[in-house]
Amino acid sequence: MIELTLYEEAMCCSTGVCGPDPDDELVEVSATLDQLEEEFDLEVSRANMQHDIDRFLETEAIADLVDEHGPSILPITVLDDEILAESAYLSYDELASELRETQNATQEA
Amino acid sequence: MSTDATPRELVEPGGDDTEFVFFSGKGGVGKSTVSCATATWLADNDYETLLVTTDPAPNLSDIFGQQIGHEVTEIEGIQNLSAIEIDPDTAAEEYRQETIEPMRQLLDDEEIETVEEQLNSPCVDEIAAFDNFVDYMDSPEYDVVVFDTAPTGHTIRLMELPSDWNAELEKGGSTCIGPAASMEDRKDQYERAIDTLQDTERTTFGFVGKPENSSLDEIERSAADLGELGIESQLLVVNGYLPESVCEDPFFEGKREDERAAIERAETEFDADAMATYPLQPGEIAGLDLLSDVAGVIYDGKNATVDVGSATDVETDQSVDIDALADPESVADRVTPGDETRYLFFTGKGGVGKSTIAAASATKLAESGYETLVVTTDPAAHLEDIFGEPVGHEPTSVSQANLDAARIDQEKALDEYRTQVLDHVTELYEDKEDTQIDIEAAIANVEEELESPCAEEMAALEKFVSYFEEDGYDVVVFDTAPTGHTLRLLELPSDWKGFMDLGSLTKGAAPAKGDQYDEVIETMQDPERSSFAFVMYPEYTPMMEAYRAAEDLRDQVGIETAFVVANYLLPEEYGDNAFFANRRAQQENYLGEIKDRFETPMMLAPLRRDEPVGLEELRAFGDEITGLSELSDKPEVTVS
Repeated sequence: MIELTLYEEAMCCSTGVCGPDPDDELVEVSATLDQLEEEFDLEVSRANMQHDIDRFLETEAIADLVDEHGPSILPITVLDDEILAESAYLSYDELASELRETQNATQEA
Repeated sequence: MSTDATPRELVEPGGDDTEFVFFSGKGGVGKSTVSCATATWLADNDYETLLVTTDPAPNLSDIFGQQIGHEVTEIEGIQNLSAIEIDPDTAAEEYRQETIEPMRQLLDDEEIETVEEQLNSPCVDEIAAFDNFVDYMDSPEYDVVVFDTAPTGHTIRLMELPSDWNAELEKGGSTCIGPAASMEDRKDQYERAIDTLQDTERTTFGFVGKPENSSLDEIERSAADLGELGIESQLLVVNGYLPESVCEDPFFEGKREDERAAIERAETEFDADAMATYPLQPGEIAGLDLLSDVAGVIYDGKNATVDVGSATDVETDQSVDIDALADPESVADRVTPGDETRYLFFTGKGGVGKSTIAAASATKLAESGYETLVVTTDPAAHLEDIFGEPVGHEPTSVSQANLDAARIDQEKALDEYRTQVLDHVTELYEDKEDTQIDIEAAIANVEEELESPCAEEMAALEKFVSYFEEDGYDVVVFDTAPTGHTLRLLELPSDWKGFMDLGSLTKGAAPAKGDQYDEVIETMQDPERSSFAFVMYPEYTPMMEAYRAAEDLRDQVGIETAFVVANYLLPEEYGDNAFFANRRAQQENYLGEIKDRFETPMMLAPLRRDEPVGLEELRAFGDEITGLSELSDKPEVTVS
């Protein structure tokens, strides 16, 4: 099981369907994650600063990054324990190729 | 009605577990008095009792003659009784600070400020309010806890969602009700609280209302909302009927007959287990004697003591000259358009008569030559009854020249909003032909999100905003305005924008609608284009509620109140006895206080024998209240 964690800035709702107009990017991120979960042996979790501040504080690497750079460093994408990306969401293609790599590496090992 | 229990049986604890009594009803109906009377009565009957009040204008201190405040306080002189006054604003603020505190370790002050602003959302207020109930629903040291307020169906549905939304929760995502992981700890507590609310053995839901059809309509709606969630309304207290002995002329005899009919209707229609009535008193209800009188009537089947003949106990030298308060010219100035369309909002609690005031004002404006649209968002939608003509979801013309009317149908508005969001999402994927994403699954996901109560609120706001784009009207009259609380939702997009500007630039452009909403808010803030009017009757609690709502509007959205409407003023020509002399003097005192508090012009509307129905009566009534007839210069040209 691969663990994919997204650390995101404080937001009202991570699905993007909130307020008068859906947030296009968040709608897409949610859909991407749903689909990847179906296609890979993957567990996705999302932590945003407003609701899950504890997880930021508990994870030293993340806490240090936010402390140093401020929330502009978010979102941070973490695959197992490795930071994949900072300051931007990865696309479906980018995530899928990373996941394939990880899966292959695990199988070879 | 199935009278299968007495009020006494309903509120008396039956088992070993703590029992809960909730009283629901709008301000000014005597809900606090009934709650205090119930708590005192229970304490007198040897039950350890806690009284929890969230009244915006707590008067417990007056009633019990001691300071109470934000801590549980034992009431001196009444064994077994403790009380606490919760200020909902303070509670919400505490909730916000608790959420923010841990973030201080990572964020600097400026960043914290942005988060703080974001936490100022209506959903957070509702969660905080529900927390208040939950906190006191775990009070094993008491036999019974009496709340002078009750959670609404809307709030309960909001709190139920986390348990329904398992899929989202498991992923650790958050939804517009917010908390996923952080709510996890409280989830069990919330679930237990909702279970208890649904358990008729442990919880009694009571409603307090006036002997008027509009008041009963509102109670029936709230009760139906709760019923859908498995919460039964068991007790109905109809408060403030006119005592027979004081109704000595056709005007008040007629009023009294209407009240009898409304009470009869409540008896036959309302599905409560028990019902009680209490008469209107000549002065304001206060003090322990009164509490025991009220409790005696409701729980011990005694007769009410009404001192109908006593001399006035309101200081008449303080009373004010009503004619001097009326300022028809200023009011007329604030209801008529300048160079651009005028948006006129009548706001206030249910039952204060705002639909009638709105319809009469709109009719008069149309008669004066302005192209006018009157819109109601009231689910009771008795605009049809008022005009005596059908009124649809889209603007429909009524017989009065220059006048259109519309009634927002919530279901239709919600459908329109859903379609709009789903179209938007579908379009989003159409632009990306080579996407690997399963579009149908993504859309299904969004569809599910749209089931939340927040979507309903957004839908209503969407519809509301759309009327700012209707062309061809000089005046648009709304018979219910959104509150500061809901208008915050409109402001959210700009807050997000601010947050994004501050933080990452990764989120792309601000929501497309942001600009449109900014414009609507700007229009509402401009006194040349928009007028907010608060409708109330001149009594303490309704005045305080309206005042707080007006402050919210100013503080949260930057909208100033344009004028206030004091409705149901007792006519001079009827009710010639000490009882009504007292009531009249009391109204005059509050008119003076309303004037001092709001510092705006006042529109004064008398109590009528019957509400105006049909265009002719509306024109006459509009003539009386709007001040338009006083204006010599009739409009020459119309705008737009």
